[in-house]
Amino acid sequence: MSVGHLARILEEEGIATVVIATEVFEKRLTSMTLPRILLTPYPMGRPLGFPKQGTEHKQIIVEALNLLEASKDFSTHYWKKERPYEV
Amino acid sequence: MDTMKDFKNAFSYGERNNLNFKFLAHLSEKEAADFIETSFQLMEDGLNGRFPGRLIEHIIQGQKKVYSVPGKFTYETGIFHALGKKVSEATIGLCTSSGHFVKGDDPKPLGVEGMTQTEAVYRIQEFLRETPQLSAIPKSVEMKNLQVRHGGYDISGTEIDGNITFPIEPLACLEKEKHIGKLADKLYSFVGACAQGPLKKVVKDDWIDLIKAQGIEGMILVPV
Repeated sequence: MSVGHLARILEEEGIATVVIATEVFEKRLTSMTLPRILLTPYPMGRPLGFPKQGTEHKQIIVEALNLLEASKDFSTHYWKKERPYEV
Repeated sequence: MDTMKDFKNAFSYGERNNLNFKFLAHLSEKEAADFIETSFQLMEDGLNGRFPGRLIEHIIQGQKKVYSVPGKFTYETGIFHALGKKVSEATIGLCTSSGHFVKGDDPKPLGVEGMTQTEAVYRIQEFLRETPQLSAIPKSVEMKNLQVRHGGYDISGTEIDGNITFPIEPLACLEKEKHIGKLADKLYSFVGACAQGPLKKVVKDDWIDLIKAQGIEGMILVPV
């Protein structure tokens, strides 16, 4: 909720935002009506994934930056539809 | 001997505290028992070298059971501000609620310098009544010179690799590759487990000026 409030105030002040969060928080974030949300398929405390997975961390940031640049309206996106680990 | 209720509740700031599993306290006794039973079954698969991801998925679904509801603060409308330029021409910032700060620049939460993670967990209710403090982190800092302290989530992963909650290295790399016009000179972090009213006030009164002074046009935000 803290980051949601920060995002709302930054947008009011003319700064575009994108939130990267674990999908566990989807309802809490979307119910705050935030402009751009990128959800990742990882447990709480690991919004960019597992440690020492630098290539994926960078890919997630690039995806978030793409949303920041290209989004035309409020939207929520998922980093990967398929799980990045075998289930 | 614990009752089932005592047992499940003890994972949330009790004698069995484990912040990955604090959600158990919010499940019914049967739901918690079912979660634990299935966890053992999935661990058995793991012992046989099969489907390790299923246990991770099970934990995510357990966490979602509790957190997949709107929070205390819901809003019907909001403001959408377009970046209005390419990221490769913009100044990009980072602010996370992970509780990072530069070693030697302790924000001294609750007036305590050098507070341990254990004490932060123990005093979580006090944090939730406090105004958060923003830590400014130079973009040139090396990860080994950062420290993390946050009583609301399991920091074990971020202690191994801070980039999972404070992705400074991929951002620095993207600036070097000119994917980002400029990464702001100072990046930010605070402890997101804080009082929400005072947070909104301090953001408007103080944080916005700091952020704007750096010319930040787009901000990446990472909650934990």
